[in-house]
Amino acid sequence: MATVTAPAEGRTSSAGAHLSRKKRLFFPFFLPAVTLYVLFLLVPTVATVVLGFTSWSGAGDTPRFTGLDNYGELIASDAFRYSFLNTVLYIVAGGVGTFLLAFLFTMVLREMRGGKVVRAVLFFPNIVAPVALGMFFGIILVYRPNRQGLANYLLESVGIDAVKFLAPENITWVVTGCLIWASSGFYITILMAAVDRIPPYLYEDSDIAGATPWQKFRHVTLPLTWDVVGVAGVLWTISAIKIFELVFVLAGPGTYSPPIRSWTLGVYVFDRSFGDQGAPQYGMACAAAVVMILLVSVLVVLLRRLMRRDTIQY
Amino acid sequence: MATVSFAGTTRYYAGNPVPAVDGLDLEVADGEFLVLVGPSGCGKSTTLRMLAGLEGVDGGTIHIGERDVTDLPPKERDIAMVFQNYALYPHMTVGENIGFHLKIAKMAKSERESRVREAAALLGLTDYLDRKPAKLSGGQRQRVAMGRAIVRSPQVFCMDEPLSNLDAKLRVQTRTQIASLQRRLGVTTIYVTHDQVEAMTMGDRVAVLKDGLLQQCDTPIGLFGKPANLFVAGFIGSPAMNLIVGTVSGESAEVDGSAIPLTPAQRAALTSEAVVVGVRPEGWEIKAPGDGIPATVEVVEELGSDQYLYCSTSTSRVSVDGGAPEPIAVRAPGMSPWQRGEKLGLVPVPGAVHLFDAATGARLPD
Amino acid sequence: MTSTVDERLGGPVRKPPRKPKPAPTARGFSPLRALGMAVVWLFTALNVLVLYWLVMAAFKSPIEIFTKPFALPSYWIERGQAFRNLAYAWNNAGFGRAFVITVVLVAVSSVAIVLLAAPAAYALTRLGVRGANGLTNFVAIGMGIPFQTVVIPLFIGMAELDLTNNLFGLFLIYVALSLPFTVFLLTGFFRSLPDELEEAAAIDGASPARTFFTIMLPLARGGLITALILNAIGLWNETLLSIVFLNENANFTLARALFAFNSAASYQSEYGGLVAGVAIVVLPMLVLYVLLARRIITGLTLGAGK
Ligand SMILES: Nc1ncnc2c1ncn2[C@@H]1O[C@H](COP(=O)(O)OP(=O)(O)OP(=O)(O)O)[C@@H](O)[C@H]1O
Ligand SMILES: [Mg+2]
Repeated sequence: MATVTAPAEGRTSSAGAHLSRKKRLFFPFFLPAVTLYVLFLLVPTVATVVLGFTSWSGAGDTPRFTGLDNYGELIASDAFRYSFLNTVLYIVAGGVGTFLLAFLFTMVLREMRGGKVVRAVLFFPNIVAPVALGMFFGIILVYRPNRQGLANYLLESVGIDAVKFLAPENITWVVTGCLIWASSGFYITILMAAVDRIPPYLYEDSDIAGATPWQKFRHVTLPLTWDVVGVAGVLWTISAIKIFELVFVLAGPGTYSPPIRSWTLGVYVFDRSFGDQGAPQYGMACAAAVVMILLVSVLVVLLRRLMRRDTIQY
Repeated sequence: MATVSFAGTTRYYAGNPVPAVDGLDLEVADGEFLVLVGPSGCGKSTTLRMLAGLEGVDGGTIHIGERDVTDLPPKERDIAMVFQNYALYPHMTVGENIGFHLKIAKMAKSERESRVREAAALLGLTDYLDRKPAKLSGGQRQRVAMGRAIVRSPQVFCMDEPLSNLDAKLRVQTRTQIASLQRRLGVTTIYVTHDQVEAMTMGDRVAVLKDGLLQQCDTPIGLFGKPANLFVAGFIGSPAMNLIVGTVSGESAEVDGSAIPLTPAQRAALTSEAVVVGVRPEGWEIKAPGDGIPATVEVVEELGSDQYLYCSTSTSRVSVDGGAPEPIAVRAPGMSPWQRGEKLGLVPVPGAVHLFDAATGARLPD
Repeated sequence: MTSTVDERLGGPVRKPPRKPKPAPTARGFSPLRALGMAVVWLFTALNVLVLYWLVMAAFKSPIEIFTKPFALPSYWIERGQAFRNLAYAWNNAGFGRAFVITVVLVAVSSVAIVLLAAPAAYALTRLGVRGANGLTNFVAIGMGIPFQTVVIPLFIGMAELDLTNNLFGLFLIYVALSLPFTVFLLTGFFRSLPDELEEAAAIDGASPARTFFTIMLPLARGGLITALILNAIGLWNETLLSIVFLNENANFTLARALFAFNSAASYQSEYGGLVAGVAIVVLPMLVLYVLLARRIITGLTLGAGK
């Protein structure tokens, strides 16, 4: 029989060999995915940044370098200003609304029986196509005396005057409302998953202290879910920045762009590149897309700053 | 300060037809340290949580002092609770943790701070007031939890196995600290543990629970000296009392050839021919083989001051927890020359014998 | 003899209460909780109502939709054409063809995405390569890039290759743009797997590639299925890219067809058909959701919760 140490040595060296064989697997496994990622996402992003400094109306035209002209033009244009402000409004007002609602729900759902079913029902709009949501709201919110949509039907049946929900002056707030309705389920679920991880005895101790639901939220729930709230905020920002279909369908006739008062940056980019009216302005569209990236980056960094805090250890 | 009384207190859990606590009648005197003890799942925590208001009461009442608190929310009961895992808030410092209840009660900041400081000084936590619980040792965390309870100066302390997360040595130390703190503060305390040594050393009185039913509530000496039934007899004391099955013949109980006399009152109380004879390990007299119950030494446990002999016999025995019957334990003086395999005879010391009705488990009158 | 002591002898059998009393904590009144309760129930009821409305409206005439929103459908049923709206959307508005295209495109793309993402996620978490964390973040950043910012160069590039208005082209784009999320999701799953099995396989002399296919993939099956479902849902609902890259009816996906149908239907007051179209897009997701709610919810919230 061999010495006692021999097999052990054999194993370590074969483990070392195994490790290096494993490492050889890295490129074949990683490269296909990352190649597609770079080709279809990163390269186009860079291209967009470059095209943002040009003037170009698509096929048959050649891009001309125009420096910052596009950005100057953007700032001067009403359409862009509405788009930018609406986008910020959706992110901020929609975000505040969604999170307030989610927080309110966390206070109640934790101790509610049937809470799981409620959560599943609230979550449902998240797996419905935004176009479908938009059309659906379009039919529900339509204002047409004598043939009102569901919302005005309900208002009139309790004796309130019907509202022109989809008129340009109201549309931003209506979209904000729809947005909150459709997305709160997702954020409620994320936050509740975090709340469920808080040990129940902490709530029992605050019961003994006599804490009200608000105090429990303020002193227990919020501090202990802070990290998740931060991540959820980032998720909200990167999903709200691209709002497009909902506005496009809800605010306009459907095939071509809605009135500019309701635009978002997403609508702006689409209208200037693939919208059906006139020659495309790829340069302007790309510049607006760059603004989108800048906006999302600034907001995300800001949010991370604001939410930074020592991690909680139990 | 206040008394605590349970009257017919009953608690069911959803989906279980058997109550977790069943008609508990218990009076706790003002300033008393009462320990609830019993095996796992017997309803100790449930009892405590009903008192704290964390669990509903399905039948009977609970009074603190003169007040019926059965349906009051926890904060109106003026109690403090120490949880098994301490329930410290991980995002608050020690000071904030101790002062949390006062803050919720809207106490002015200056008074709150002075009371926190006072409690911290009492528990030796002054140097740690600004630390988060994650950076404390187990014993320190335990003291923070205690601090949070005493800073409220409540009428009743509820403690649910507050020492079970500590290592053995620290547990012994902390045990005495808690007991002396309680005596000093004079606050009525209900203390839950499944450790009978803790129960016997800390409590003014000890209540033994099993399957939601109160078995006996007495001083440690009372419990040890006069267990009310077989369960208490087997549960209290370590090593456990030896419970041997005997049969009644004439005026005495017969155990493996030895006769133990029965009084007329005892005979009258018996419901069948079977009787259980209980003898604690220290209640045996060791004789030569042929005298008393013949036994063979199987294991010798030398503790220095004492020696425990575990002997096999041909008697049948009662096992309280349903497991296999253990060998008979016998205490001998330390450093005795007993060897494995040696044969001896066991005779119970007169007055050290406990008698129980085998059918009902109840203690026979002395 | 070994007997167990049991005191619970005889006695009248008491009936336990049907519902144990709640703790007194839950009984105190708090305005905030009352408000929360009200909002929760209102919100839930609204969602249920809306779903009811959608399903019912798919069987109604436009007049019924607007004048009797809560009534059960009757107009078409009385005329013996209960499924008239669905049939209209399916046949006349091209939803039938779009349905088939979408099912195939979504299925093929989702499988391709997972097939590409799983090895990448494995490589990033389990091969002990230095810098893997940085690379994971590098991929995760892709989740934050709005599609609008890449769609123009992508369109130009695909046009060069003659891949616009082409389902294969859309397939490529779907796969590539779904990778960051999927890789990120799967790294979470792979990271949570135990080391022991992999080590055991290594000691048995299995090659790393073999270990991946025969041990790690089956272990991560739950994660792979979740990734598959989430991608399928996302692509089923995807609209922007299909609007940009498809412009011929024959190629339309469901969301694209619905988008195109919207204005036509409003002009003709074909609200019945429109709602039916919405229902065709939404109901398969509803069925999937009812079957797999738990998996979908945990999957979608997984990355965020950690
Ligand atoms: N929330 C609950 N739902 C249903 N049954 C419960 C619940 N809590 C406790 N029980 C049951 O009630 C009985 C008593 O539980 P309790 O927690 O009071 O036991 P305990 O004496 O504290 O035990 P331990 O020493 O293990 O802590 C047990 O049988 C337990 O299974
Ligand atoms: Mg317990």
